[in-house]
Amino acid sequence: MPGQLLMKGNEVMAEAAVRAGCRFYSGYPITPQNEIPEYLSWRLPEVGGVFIQAESELAAINMVYGASAAGVRAMTSSSSPGISLKQEGISFLAGAELPAVVANVQRGGPGLGNISGSQQDYFQSTKGGGHGDYRLLAYAPFNHQELWDLTMTAFDKADEYRNPVMILTDGVLGQMMEPFVPTEYVPPGLPPKDWVLDGCRGRPPRVIKTLYLGEGELERQNLKLQKKYQRMKEAEVLYETYMVDDADLVIVAFGIAARVSLSAVRLLRRRGRRAGLFRPVTLFPFPEREIGDLAEAGRRFLVVELNLGQMVEDVLLAVNGASEVRLYGRCGGSMMTPEEVVDAAERMESLDTRRRVRVSLK
Amino acid sequence: MSTPLRLKELTNKEELLTGGHRLCAGCGAPIAVRQIFLALDVPVVASNATGCLEVSTTIYPYTAWKIPWIHSAFENAAATISGVEAMYKSLKRKGKIDRKIKFIAFGGDGGTYDIGLQSLSGAMERRHDIVYICYDNGAYMNTGIQRSSATPLGANTTTSPAGTVIPGKLQPRKNLTKIMAAHNIPYSAQASPHNWRDLMTKVRKAVEIDGPAFINIFAHCNRGWRTPTNTAIQDSRLAVETCFWPLYEYDNGRLTVNYKPKEKKPVTEFLKTQGRFKHLFRPGNEDLLREIQENVDREWNALLREEALQSSAESS
Repeated sequence: MPGQLLMKGNEVMAEAAVRAGCRFYSGYPITPQNEIPEYLSWRLPEVGGVFIQAESELAAINMVYGASAAGVRAMTSSSSPGISLKQEGISFLAGAELPAVVANVQRGGPGLGNISGSQQDYFQSTKGGGHGDYRLLAYAPFNHQELWDLTMTAFDKADEYRNPVMILTDGVLGQMMEPFVPTEYVPPGLPPKDWVLDGCRGRPPRVIKTLYLGEGELERQNLKLQKKYQRMKEAEVLYETYMVDDADLVIVAFGIAARVSLSAVRLLRRRGRRAGLFRPVTLFPFPEREIGDLAEAGRRFLVVELNLGQMVEDVLLAVNGASEVRLYGRCGGSMMTPEEVVDAAERMESLDTRRRVRVSLK
Repeated sequence: MSTPLRLKELTNKEELLTGGHRLCAGCGAPIAVRQIFLALDVPVVASNATGCLEVSTTIYPYTAWKIPWIHSAFENAAATISGVEAMYKSLKRKGKIDRKIKFIAFGGDGGTYDIGLQSLSGAMERRHDIVYICYDNGAYMNTGIQRSSATPLGANTTTSPAGTVIPGKLQPRKNLTKIMAAHNIPYSAQASPHNWRDLMTKVRKAVEIDGPAFINIFAHCNRGWRTPTNTAIQDSRLAVETCFWPLYEYDNGRLTVNYKPKEKKPVTEFLKTQGRFKHLFRPGNEDLLREIQENVDREWNALLREEALQSSAESS
């Protein structure tokens, strides 16, 4: 296809960030996301932006805090252990209502784990991650086109909601090369940032803070944040379905696991089984209403993810007892084959379905 | 009675970092570690920060370490060994252990100069009886040659790429050995594996003193420095002979410069051996070369002056 580019996933995110107007990046080395800082170390100076390699993840996320408060589109990236270190800063960004884009190119955990792709940070990305009641808007791209498009969207949504946005990808997508169309960035026409700390000569001073000591003040701030997350739930849910209309078994998977599951659905269809794929693109907000509707309509669910059961909890909440939910999870850098997903689906079909809600690993 | 520092005796000692690890051919780090272990005649426990040395020597289910060894994360080798040492002291106080055991932490420059500096500083200030060894190869080699605060001025790395906009790393190195000396710990030193006798003497002093010690060891990296795989020792020698990496020690506050070249070579002799400095020799970068030489001269002269001042203060 004309106009396509062939790039590594990490570099796709880096270039998309530059096109979307990101002019500040601070990061710290960790595999498998090093191509992002490496790319931006030469690319940002080309467009008059700033690249800073920090002395730690703590410094990197807090530099993003500073740059964001000054009004610039700012980003950091890391991989799982490094994202853990950034959690304090992310909580502060959410508390201070500062926009920022954080990319997590996940690897296997816990601890040092390994450097292979994984989806073991789902909880961390969708339930807050650090301390306090907060949420990140979390995108789960599943190919390089989405890495490109959603990185751009992430900057817009971060500004729109004044909230950190997580791009939750993994070492497989980050490291592999794939063609995509580098679509033009179209600014969404957001209102001017009337909260930035850019010098108060001629205007009243502004305050950005996360400390609320007055009676009831912190609760009011939290309620305000909750309203924002509610608005995200109403407006930002993204998902994709494949052959779901006539399916009686729906595989729910995101990111790289959804690519494997898509192949599995095709194999199942070839064997005459009515299977479909439901792929959440936003993990927070989670497409709970849509999955709930499918459950009400009698579909059964197989959740396929590269962890031992994280998104399955959100599917169970969405299904709310109306249908059967099972899990096929692999972790620690292991990758399932489409055939293994097919096996899991066929095992499910042969099982006693009188017990309608059931979760098991195999 | 410790083993004499003679090759004849040392070569008969058991190697505590065995071969078969997966560090690159010609890597400076295992040369340093083996010299450290050969210098020791007491049992040791080691902690290791994340980095090439840690990853390449402990690929599960194998380990190259014939000693008790612990790793937790990147920023905390000094904190982890502090905990181990504190527990040892506690067991000793209770009479549950009476053996003399020494504790060593290993970290690269990323895990020491940068993310691990806080825990290192804390361990030194709390006066744990540990030896912290930094093997300084001047960048994050394990993750793909990103700049660190130990990367020399002008070096080409993947996050300080030399090109038309910037000529490699724009900032000079941090002087970590001096920062450690400023903690007023009993012993801090700088060493290089080409001078093994000096390195091993320093390790012995560091281990024998009661309290924290720090040794910064020059560690060649052929991947990151863009050199052949057989030049680790000769390039290390050049680093010392050009005074880019002076050998010195602070022994209970007293500075000794351990090696003074009869004829100090220009720093370009060291720089030109490595691809990471190749661009500095292209037209237009003469000022940067001059600045690098000036930095080397300033730090070297400051060391000599400090040593001389101390002697004259003692004699007056």
